[in-house]
Amino acid sequence: MLLANDEDVVVKIKKLKNIKIKMGCLFMKSDSEIILKISALTKSVQLEDKTLELLQPIDLTVNSGETLAIVGSSGSGKTTLLSILAGLDLPTSGEVYLKNHPLHQFNEEQRSQVRANHVGFIFQQFLLINSLTALENVMLPAELANLPDAKELGLALLEQVGLAERADHYPSQLSGGEQQRVAIARAFITKPDVLFADEPTGNLDTKTGVHIEDLLFELNEKLDTTLILVTHDPKLALRCQRQVEMDCGVLQEKNANAQISNEFTADMKVG
Amino acid sequence: MSELIVKSSPAWLKQSLRLLHHEFRRGELTIIFLAIVLAVGTVFSLTGFTEQIKQAIMSNSANTIAADRVFGANRKIPIEFLEKSEELSIKSANKILVDSMVFAGDNMLLSELDAVSDSYPLRGKFMGKVSLNQPPVSIDGIKLGTAWVEESVLARLDVEIGGIIEVGAFPLTIAGIITEIPDRSYRMFVAGPAIFLNIEDMPKTELIQPGSRVYYQYLFAGEQDDVETFESWLKPQLNDTQNWYDAKSAQSRLSNVLDRSEKFLSLASMLGIVLAAVAVAVASRRYGQRHQPMVAVFKALGASKLHVQKLYMLHWGLLSLISISVGLVMGYLLMLAGVSAIESYLSLDESQLSLTPFFTAIITGLLCAVAFAIHPITELISTKPLDVIRGFSQNVLPKFGWHQLIPLLALFALLMLFSRDFMMSLSLLLGGILVSVVLLFLGRLIMGAGRTAGSKAGKSWHLALANLKRRANENSVQLVSFTIAIQLLLLITVMKSSILEEWQSQFPENTPNHYLLNINADEVLPLKTFAEELSIDNQGFYSIFLGRLSAINNEKTINIEDEKNSDENENKSAKNESNKSELDEDNEEKPKGRKGAGRELSLTWQLNLPIENEIVEGEWWQENDNMPQVSMESGMAERLAVKLGDKLTFTIGSDEFTVPVTSIRDVNWKSRQLNFIMIFNQAAIKNIESTSISAWMVPDEKKKQVYRFLSAYPTISVMDFGSIMKQLMNMIDQVSIAIELILVLVILAGSLVLVAQVQASMEERERELAILRTLGAKGTLLRNSVLFEFIALGGIAGLMASIAMEIAVYFLQTQVFEMAASFHFSYWLVGIGAGAAFVGLMGMLSCWRLLNLSSVTLIRRTM
Repeated sequence: MLLANDEDVVVKIKKLKNIKIKMGCLFMKSDSEIILKISALTKSVQLEDKTLELLQPIDLTVNSGETLAIVGSSGSGKTTLLSILAGLDLPTSGEVYLKNHPLHQFNEEQRSQVRANHVGFIFQQFLLINSLTALENVMLPAELANLPDAKELGLALLEQVGLAERADHYPSQLSGGEQQRVAIARAFITKPDVLFADEPTGNLDTKTGVHIEDLLFELNEKLDTTLILVTHDPKLALRCQRQVEMDCGVLQEKNANAQISNEFTADMKVG
Repeated sequence: MSELIVKSSPAWLKQSLRLLHHEFRRGELTIIFLAIVLAVGTVFSLTGFTEQIKQAIMSNSANTIAADRVFGANRKIPIEFLEKSEELSIKSANKILVDSMVFAGDNMLLSELDAVSDSYPLRGKFMGKVSLNQPPVSIDGIKLGTAWVEESVLARLDVEIGGIIEVGAFPLTIAGIITEIPDRSYRMFVAGPAIFLNIEDMPKTELIQPGSRVYYQYLFAGEQDDVETFESWLKPQLNDTQNWYDAKSAQSRLSNVLDRSEKFLSLASMLGIVLAAVAVAVASRRYGQRHQPMVAVFKALGASKLHVQKLYMLHWGLLSLISISVGLVMGYLLMLAGVSAIESYLSLDESQLSLTPFFTAIITGLLCAVAFAIHPITELISTKPLDVIRGFSQNVLPKFGWHQLIPLLALFALLMLFSRDFMMSLSLLLGGILVSVVLLFLGRLIMGAGRTAGSKAGKSWHLALANLKRRANENSVQLVSFTIAIQLLLLITVMKSSILEEWQSQFPENTPNHYLLNINADEVLPLKTFAEELSIDNQGFYSIFLGRLSAINNEKTINIEDEKNSDENENKSAKNESNKSELDEDNEEKPKGRKGAGRELSLTWQLNLPIENEIVEGEWWQENDNMPQVSMESGMAERLAVKLGDKLTFTIGSDEFTVPVTSIRDVNWKSRQLNFIMIFNQAAIKNIESTSISAWMVPDEKKKQVYRFLSAYPTISVMDFGSIMKQLMNMIDQVSIAIELILVLVILAGSLVLVAQVQASMEERERELAILRTLGAKGTLLRNSVLFEFIALGGIAGLMASIAMEIAVYFLQTQVFEMAASFHFSYWLVGIGAGAAFVGLMGMLSCWRLLNLSSVTLIRRTM
């Protein structure tokens, strides 16, 4: 693991690295496969006599291998958007294609199948199954996708997140950071095409949060996964190639280059 | 090997087994496991135990007829009946009953001769003493040439054991005195004390002559199935002069005791089932809620609904299977413990345990595991994956809807399966629903009021009552379970004591223990004087004569069809009449002539209305009223549809006379007074010869004196049935012990429901304690607030339980047990006090571990 006094340096190096990647991505965009595409997507709920518009018509395209941050204040609709993108919820109108699957036309079961084959999750609350050990939690998606050698894969991933020796421990015997590391291992075991993360560091202290972020981006890069994360932490958002902002149900693309350079200069100044 | 199976099996199977294994090990399934174990165990032990007790009571009551079934007639039994019984390997014994004068020197005594075969008795104990100072021993066959006599015979004939008595033409040596006759209660009103001799000596007495009054009894006993086969073969062939009965069909007070004890035992067991079902319902609801995040995560990770369904069906199925099996073992052990506790009181035969308890318990387990869990489990399975984002709704009140029907139907099925009594099951169920709805409403009301009161109380009470109010939804559900548990316990206690009281009230202190019959007119005065001198309680002297009611308004009543109908009616009204005094049993229910209205009745005349009689229609006659008339008992009048003014024709010997009914009386049959169905005025029976009877309460120390005095009046028959009463009291005691033991089991079931309920709310409490600790609450404040919260919850539950109990008791007493309704305010205090104390204690014990955790641990565990 990383040493505390090296931390800032490492963060900066990573950021530089990310810029390169992002630059590369910008040029590669036209060649990349579109992994997620939504158009004219809305979501509204009926509250007694009035309709509450959670999402105004939204269009968004995410390419394979991209990292995208959805930012916004609480109640802006970012989690609602994530739920629909991941096929956990259905839009009121509009279209969602994940790996060319029309999720908006799919029923619960079909969406489950898509999730099993293409999607990974990381939650703010970790949501490990308390009755299963760390290893069994990690193995779960692999078993659901009928992958052979779920156990070996699970052990290898636990090794990568530095928890090999805690494989037989139950979630209640692990700290918050350790639980989230198990959750990360669980998310990557099926090598998902898209990984959705909902405030992955929201329940952790800053230091642990940074470790988890590093781990997340490290594995993401290694396994070439598309990462879509929801956060209200601007620093975390900046580690992604693209940021979109939700504000009262309206989605706006942020100017990535300007942001990156601003942030980079700011960091350099601080540094 | 198992590793291999797991490896090659589908994911849902692997995951299901893994979950089950871990959850069992980590104690997460303990509550639901215990709930099913408890349900199955309670049902098994109660069913098994009740069955054993029923069998014991039945076999004890079979003692009262000395057999399983008895055939009785004025003639010998048709030979094919005996052949059939032999064919079915049913044991039999013969008995001939003759009333005869017995002599010893110059003394003589009218007695009942019981000539029995060597195999007598087939059931029960026939005991006697060979000398006055020795303990009783079993009489195994009566030696030829000897007789066993009741103690009163010695005094009245002035003979000793070893002395000679002349029975007809044959002298018999007294071998000893009888202390226990197994079929005594069926020969209560015979001519005199019993003298037993060997049936082979009977011809030598030459007492059986053409025209003599002889009664033949054939006793049968064997395997239940064989006896039932025999009975169904024989019954259709019986003619009108032949009687066939078992211990129950005799409709005596004894069978009344049996009926009620059976009903009570099954009621107690049913309440046990309800409690167990509540436990399962509570635990499975908790199970469903606890597993929600798991299902949501599974689904979010792409598990299909079918996958989750299979996983949980296997998980739940295995859990049920394990729990049911353990429940069966526990139930069996409990039953054995119960049985061994009462072994010394009841002769139980463990080998006779049938498959019924097994099946009932397994069906109960399955019904509980399926019906009471189906809603929580289906809700669990349909948990939305979106919940991983939105969060989980814990402790949502169960909503009312169609799904509530399933557990209700299951509960009804269980009650029916168990009691086979539609009314009892339905009333318990409907009462339960009504009570639950009212309780939910009341509970919230009281908790709301408590909150206001609490704000004026101390800090701990304030916190406790605020907690109650804040968790009003969850607490109302808990309150309903607590209330039902306490109510059922109170109900059982109250019903137990009221049933026992009612039984015991039938034997008040001054109950007559001797009846004197055949008193001639000139003997009345000396007897009266003697009774007064010795201050013996007596109920006066009644002139008595036998007669038949031959016509009502000139319409003949004696024909077989009528008798059969009236017999059915008699069965229907058995409950009302089964409390009639022994004298009435003589009149109406003696096996020798138990047929309907056509039988001989004991008739009397009276100047004044006897005590414990009340005129309900018409008027009692005046002293100088010369018009012949009769007063009729209201029950009989109703049965025979006789109205005031109807003309009744009576046949007494060769005489026949017709009198109008001028009054109808209610008679308190429970009073054990000498009671009569027909009472004439003196004008009606002017020319009829009669003897008198009287009922005396003779204390033990005056017995000898009374017998000696009565030996001067050899034609007077003295019936001592103190020992019969002892036998009855003994049986009532045994039944009471059985009831108390079942009560203990029900209390155990109730306690476990309470614990399950408290346990179910533990996680929520843990979270709250953590918050309060964080905010700096002191240990004592937390402990007191938890304690007070449970005390308040228990107290409220106790109060509501008392009200509900009172309503239920009223219904049960009036509708099911046909007793007088009574109120039990003292039990209210018990209910409230015990509820508060018990729930408070249980709550504290369950939370003790939590309360003693350090703040850090608490916070780490829950945050």
